[in-house]
Amino acid sequence: MKWLRRFTQRALSEKRLDSELQFHLEQQIAGYIESGMPPEEARRHARLEFGGVERFKEECRQTHWENQWDSVGRDFRFAFNCLRKDRLFARIAIFALALGMGASTAIFSVVDNAIFEPFAYKDSSQLVTIRLRDLDQANDWRGVFLFDEFQEMKRHTHVFENAVANLQEDVVYDAGDNSMLLAGNYVTQGTFEFYGMAPFLGRSLEPGDYEADAAPVFVMRYRTWVEKFGADPSWIGKRFKLNGISRTLVGIEAPRFAWGGAQLWMPKQPAEVRITRSFDGVQYWGVVARIRPGVSPKQAAADLEPIAQHFSKVYPKEYPTHFSMEVDSFAHAVLPREFRMALFTFSAAVGLLLLIGCANVANLLLARATTREKEFALRAALGATRFRMVRQLLAESFLLALAGAILGVFFAWAGVRTIAAVIPDFTIASETVIQMNASVLIFALVAGACTVFLFGLVPALKVSRWSLDESLRDNGKGLTGSARGAGLRNAVVIAEVALSVALLFTASMFVRSFVALQRVPLGLRTDHVLTARLPLPPDRYKTGAQVRSFFQPLLARLKSIPGIAYAAESSSIPPYGGIRSQVEVSGRAHSEKWFTLFQLCSEDYLSVLRIPILEGRAFTETEVNHALKVALINHTFQRRYFGNGDPLGQRIRLSGLKDFPDAVNDPWFEVIGVVADARNRGLTEPIEPEAWIPFTVTGSAARGILVRTVNDPTPMFKTVAGEIWATDPGVAMAEPNTLDYFLDLFTFAQPRFGLWIVGMFGGLGLLLVTIGVYSVMAYTTARRTHELGLRMALGAAARDVMNMVLGHGLRLLTFGILIGLAASLVLARVIANQLYGVSPYDPLTIGGVAAVLLLIGLAACWVPARRATRVDPMAALRYE
Amino acid sequence: MAQAKGAQEKGAPEKAEFLKGTLDMLILKVVAAAPIHGYAISQRIQQISKDFFQLPQGSLYPALHRLEERGWLEAEWNDTATGREAKFYRLTRTGRKQLEAEMLHWERLSDAVALILRTA
Repeated sequence: MKWLRRFTQRALSEKRLDSELQFHLEQQIAGYIESGMPPEEARRHARLEFGGVERFKEECRQTHWENQWDSVGRDFRFAFNCLRKDRLFARIAIFALALGMGASTAIFSVVDNAIFEPFAYKDSSQLVTIRLRDLDQANDWRGVFLFDEFQEMKRHTHVFENAVANLQEDVVYDAGDNSMLLAGNYVTQGTFEFYGMAPFLGRSLEPGDYEADAAPVFVMRYRTWVEKFGADPSWIGKRFKLNGISRTLVGIEAPRFAWGGAQLWMPKQPAEVRITRSFDGVQYWGVVARIRPGVSPKQAAADLEPIAQHFSKVYPKEYPTHFSMEVDSFAHAVLPREFRMALFTFSAAVGLLLLIGCANVANLLLARATTREKEFALRAALGATRFRMVRQLLAESFLLALAGAILGVFFAWAGVRTIAAVIPDFTIASETVIQMNASVLIFALVAGACTVFLFGLVPALKVSRWSLDESLRDNGKGLTGSARGAGLRNAVVIAEVALSVALLFTASMFVRSFVALQRVPLGLRTDHVLTARLPLPPDRYKTGAQVRSFFQPLLARLKSIPGIAYAAESSSIPPYGGIRSQVEVSGRAHSEKWFTLFQLCSEDYLSVLRIPILEGRAFTETEVNHALKVALINHTFQRRYFGNGDPLGQRIRLSGLKDFPDAVNDPWFEVIGVVADARNRGLTEPIEPEAWIPFTVTGSAARGILVRTVNDPTPMFKTVAGEIWATDPGVAMAEPNTLDYFLDLFTFAQPRFGLWIVGMFGGLGLLLVTIGVYSVMAYTTARRTHELGLRMALGAAARDVMNMVLGHGLRLLTFGILIGLAASLVLARVIANQLYGVSPYDPLTIGGVAAVLLLIGLAACWVPARRATRVDPMAALRYE
Repeated sequence: MAQAKGAQEKGAPEKAEFLKGTLDMLILKVVAAAPIHGYAISQRIQQISKDFFQLPQGSLYPALHRLEERGWLEAEWNDTATGREAKFYRLTRTGRKQLEAEMLHWERLSDAVALILRTA
């Protein structure tokens, strides 16, 4: 540790150097006195001979490595002062660096987390999901299977190593004074071994839990435990009353275990499972398999075909006429294709942004190097060694890179957090954790730092490459400056402008599409409506009469509350409507199958949603309470299945009702009214035929309520929940919220996310293009100072000079914009399916984007152009 | 050789390099005899060379510190005969090796130069 002591005891070593020299001096004086010189004379003589002590003291110090730090420190102070003198340059360079680094790190982190590493499961790349595709209807398939089918697939071990299945189940947790609805999953034996994740606390489900006489247990999701149970470990070992069964909580799963998006997982023999609410009482299991290494998804799908053929004969109702099996990687199944595409596109764009950010900084540094050539030549002439100049430049580069990196890390951090916050639910796998990716960050930082160091050294290299006097005599005073590299610089600007045009174009398409989406007439009013799903305990609510016994008093109580205008039962949350069923219309024959959506509702349904009646009338309370077979249809239903005929008094048959556990045996309903069309397949899908029948006709199907309030519905949540529990404390209120909220979540959240992202990139692109244009124009005009001065001395007006500089910028901008627009038109076709209500070839958008780019670009040219006009001709010429 | 004084001046880098090496060798040789302080070194070099070398402090001390930094010399603070504390330099093992190498090199060089001067 001697070296450390030397470093810390520098004051001491300085003192020693002094006393060593002092000793020498004294000896010298003594020597002179000895040789007969008078003391005064001896002292003077010795001192004279000693000469400039400081100079060789410095030389002594230089030999000690620990003192090198002082000169490094001086280099840094000098570099800092240099940068402070050129604040505009420093700020722009640091900002461009940070922007490039930050943006690329943020988006690459998200892509990496969401696409490449979404799951923490064991060998997650081998996990596949299985789907059944209806070949007649492009998007109609089921990704869930009967237990028989699952077992057969699992036995099919030559393509799969193993397979597990889960069954969704609403779980009502009875906490005594109220009830909580939790998303449950029954999972097959071996599920936790299959995913290979150790529990966070306690234990996972084990084979013993699946024994016939085993005590009922369950495990909980980490997030649920944290959010709903205060992350309190003492809950483990406690008994919970879940759907009427007392179960012991035995473990909390790992934070990233979220299979099926469930909040709790329960063991159960498939034979015992009785699902709470299913349209027709059939249990559908989600299946995940681990594919054998070397087996492709296509091979596996082909292998499953015979199984499907076999079961299509056993369960003909479960299979469409023409079908095929599909095996897809788990990650693909969870992440929508468009989202993946979008992320890939953005990654490419951001990679380019990083590149361009670096190119910008390089341009800035080159511009600065040119203006400093003289400074360096002078310093070299005054005796600065090349090593010393390089060191000073490195210090400058280091400061720039450091500041850029710090700001860049901050941008990256903020970017990741922002993106993570605006990614809508259900867009990415719930297992995904969006966080900053360290290796990506390091890559971006290194790329940025390399640019700075590389281009920062240019002045020193130039000084050493060219002879000094040449550099002093002529720098950048040729008529148009050196042509070297000019082509490259121009190309960079053109590329920047083109990319920025494409980004801005995409962003504005998304904006316009989003605006168009929000203007879509719904046909119903979502304001002042609150809604909640109400899963009824299945043991006590089996028949229509039992369901009525809950809703009839509840709706009456709600309606009596001041502030509530209407309250209705509903089996779905608008603008997504109902249950799909085959339909027959009395007296009308047709060859193809007819389908309709239908809903189970109470008499106030139309009033809550303000859907107008076109013909006939709405249900009466009596009709609903007596479960009369009456129906309302929408306008599309009327047009499609009745044509010009009068539907009132006609009868329709909703065949789907026959398959309900609480089946309606003769599902013919008399049409008593026609209502106006309202969206029932979301905002962008065409409206489908829809029918409404009294909710009391069956005890099956999911239930919920819709409540129209007079004022803001948010404060009414508690009141409504209180009334529900007062009616039956065993009913849990699921996801109560306003209809506006659900509309936003399911309809606007995803496009808004797209908007956010492209908006961000559009803005970034604009910023970078501004910096890029500015730096190149500044560089070019700096090189032409002499020429411009000469021109002005010869009589050119300031305006001519301005026009000349702006003209150069304008040419680059025009090229860039034209290329960018051409690229945009190609891009438009790619993104067309993500747009709604706007033409990708919209002239207004194209013109607007071009205009914005042109304005911003010219503004960036204007600063150096104005500087050029201020060149003092005399000064420029005296430069010589 | 009188130019030893100008060793630190700019403009004659090759010569300085050569002379600097010579100076180092002479210092090492003087120190090799016994631990010795800076003033005595300059005195001895002056003495032995019969005043041919005037070794200025501006050359001596940077050279001493440089040799110490390289590990050829080591220093210790001791009392002199007059009871005054001074920094005494001593040759290290690597310093001795370096001295031998430099002396060998110098002998060959001076032999070669002498040969040329005599015969050419």
